Amino acid sequence: MLEVRNLTKVYGDGTVALRNVSFTVPEGEFLVVIGLSGSGKSTLLRCINRLIDPTEGQILWDGVDITTLKGDDLRSLRRQIGMVFQQFNLVKRSSVLTNVMAGRLGYAPTWRSITNRFDEADIKRAQTALKRMGITDQVNKRASELSGGQQQRVGIARALMQEPKLILADEPVASLDPVLAHSILQHLESLNKEDGITIICSLHYLDLVQRYGTSVIGLRDGQIVYEGNKKQIMRMTDAEFKTIYGEEAERMGGLTGDIAEDDAVEAGEEVTE
Amino acid sequence: MSPKDQTVEEKPSLVPPVLAGLISLIVPGLGHMLARQFRKGLVLLLVFLSAAGLWIWRVNVAARREIGFAAMFKKAVQLQPIVLIILVLLFLMYILIAFDAYKSATKTKANSFLLWASVLVVFFILGWQIGEIKPAVLIRDGKNSLPLLMRVLWPWEKALDYPEELLIGSADVVIPCSENAEVEPRVLEPDAPYVTVTPNCGDLSQIGGAEGTKLRMVGGNFAPNDETEIWWVDQVRNEFRYRYGGEYVKVVTDENGSFELDVIIPYRVIPTTGDKGYALWQVEARQVASIGKPVVSEELKLSVEKMIETIFLGMMSTLFGVILSIPVSFLASRNLMSANWFTRTIYMVVRTILNIVRSIESLVWAVIAIIAVGLGPFAGILALTVHSIAALGKLYSEAIESIDPGPVEAIQATGANWLQTVWYAVIPQIVPPFVSFTIYRWDINVRMSTVIGMVGGGGIGYLLIQWIRLLDYRSAGIAIWFIAITVAILDYVSSEIRNRFV
Repeated sequence: MLEVRNLTKVYGDGTVALRNVSFTVPEGEFLVVIGLSGSGKSTLLRCINRLIDPTEGQILWDGVDITTLKGDDLRSLRRQIGMVFQQFNLVKRSSVLTNVMAGRLGYAPTWRSITNRFDEADIKRAQTALKRMGITDQVNKRASELSGGQQQRVGIARALMQEPKLILADEPVASLDPVLAHSILQHLESLNKEDGITIICSLHYLDLVQRYGTSVIGLRDGQIVYEGNKKQIMRMTDAEFKTIYGEEAERMGGLTGDIAEDDAVEAGEEVTE
Repeated sequence: MSPKDQTVEEKPSLVPPVLAGLISLIVPGLGHMLARQFRKGLVLLLVFLSAAGLWIWRVNVAARREIGFAAMFKKAVQLQPIVLIILVLLFLMYILIAFDAYKSATKTKANSFLLWASVLVVFFILGWQIGEIKPAVLIRDGKNSLPLLMRVLWPWEKALDYPEELLIGSADVVIPCSENAEVEPRVLEPDAPYVTVTPNCGDLSQIGGAEGTKLRMVGGNFAPNDETEIWWVDQVRNEFRYRYGGEYVKVVTDENGSFELDVIIPYRVIPTTGDKGYALWQVEARQVASIGKPVVSEELKLSVEKMIETIFLGMMSTLFGVILSIPVSFLASRNLMSANWFTRTIYMVVRTILNIVRSIESLVWAVIAIIAVGLGPFAGILALTVHSIAALGKLYSEAIESIDPGPVEAIQATGANWLQTVWYAVIPQIVPPFVSFTIYRWDINVRMSTVIGMVGGGGIGYLLIQWIRLLDYRSAGIAIWFIAITVAILDYVSSEIRNRFV
């Protein structure tokens, strides 16, 4: 269970990225964070694994405040939290295998990892992860030789190597076409449903949010302006949409509150099943 | 919006068109300024002033000795008629500026093409005059340099030495014939070249008078079928080559190495006799014969030695440069040094030092290094190292600054520590540019090390400049060939390495 309490982040130049953000993520949730670019989604995700230090507030991870962790404690926190990025953030010149093995760095002793010697068990684990992502035949290629969808799958495999309890996905499909977007999100969904890994994922398109999210928070100017469960996402009204995306926003795709009534009921049932 | 609308919106000229033109005749460009084209007017004023200033300067240069500008101008035109052409064009430009000012003030769509063309032509011809460009001289006299160029381009005659031996056979001649002459008989090795004369005495030739005694000269044991020179040695051991009728006398030996020749005792202005009443001369037959196989010339050997020195000079300075510039480059990377004011100060200081060091050429550094450690390759290595540190430090730091922060973030997020993050996310990103820049610098250093010797910093440049100064263009050509070959090989090798690593 992850609990964020009154989280505030002010950058050095005075930009307020998060204002007093509070929410709770129960274990096994697929939480989607929506909001415009610059609304604080990335900052929020990076505060959770402390790539960014929050200015104020607390983040409780199984009851422990992680905002004050340092050194080895911080690193052992981070290795429990996988992260997937919009730009995949693979080391492009390294092989796929090396990129995936990098997910194990939090567990490996420094000297061994620098001399590129890995445990047999870790290599097995990497092969399993790659197999699960369906990219076994690309193991020895350079990451830069893969297509975008394949790179993102390597990114997820890297996160899997951490044996994470939580995966943070920062707009994981924003650089991919709609077909690949579904494929990647289905992978995340299977991790969520089959392995019980909690997912916090920021997304842009409402249809994806409605399809994959089990709960949603909407950020605008660093503040939470919308919170909803699966049922409520399905019947998101235009007014709610405009609170999140601004008055000028025009709704494209996704189901509206008026016509999605039936689907929402169905979807709600699915969740309760 | 059509051009017509624009003209309506523009503010009207401050002065009537004719006045703008006239003002422009007094101060070129001022007319435009008053016609609300301030920037154009300013540019034209500066253009006119600089062109006129340059012209006056060139007149002064062309006729330094004259006093008073009129005299100077007259002399300059006489020496360099181009000065007059520039003056005419300047005047044309001056008129065009005034005309353009008039047009600008009338608000008709002014076409300033002719004006700008005249500006370009004036500066082009000024450049021609200042650069002392004389294509005619190149065509007329350039061909004189061709033989020289050929020696540089094909210097390989100098690559081999043919070892030679001087074969001399000599016989004594008593002048004049004397009863009491004491001539020691020659004792010779059996195969040694010999010469005999009959008779072995006689009289010198008289100037404008009778010829001297004719002697029959017979030689043997010389190299066969080879040219042989005849020399005389007088009683005071002066050697001089024998001429007859103004020509040097030569004889070619037969297949046995023997010859026969008639010689006439030449004229000589020295006392013909001492107390003894006679003088002892010698007549010699000399042959320059090659012995053994041709050997590698001293010049070629030196070139090879110095070329090896040059390559290592470039290599060592690159190695030292790389080793020392890596830590420097980290200090000069903005992204690594922006943590607080202290590190930012270090960044600024290091950057400034690098820029200053880099702006001083390697040759200048070599001169300074020679004062410190003396002539030789070490001075060259020091100079190139210093320059390499500055150049590589900047290039490396820019490579570090431009790494993608994404992978760094991703590796950190896995729980990796600092060292693991650098190893997995930073190093793979900076290896390609580092390798690339290092090879690039190695290239530069080897090429620089070929000239650093010209100021005494070791390497082949030292030989090259010496041979050029001695007008020994063939030897210089050998050095240039070695430089070219080395640079070509280096080019190939470096591109191969680059392909493999980058």
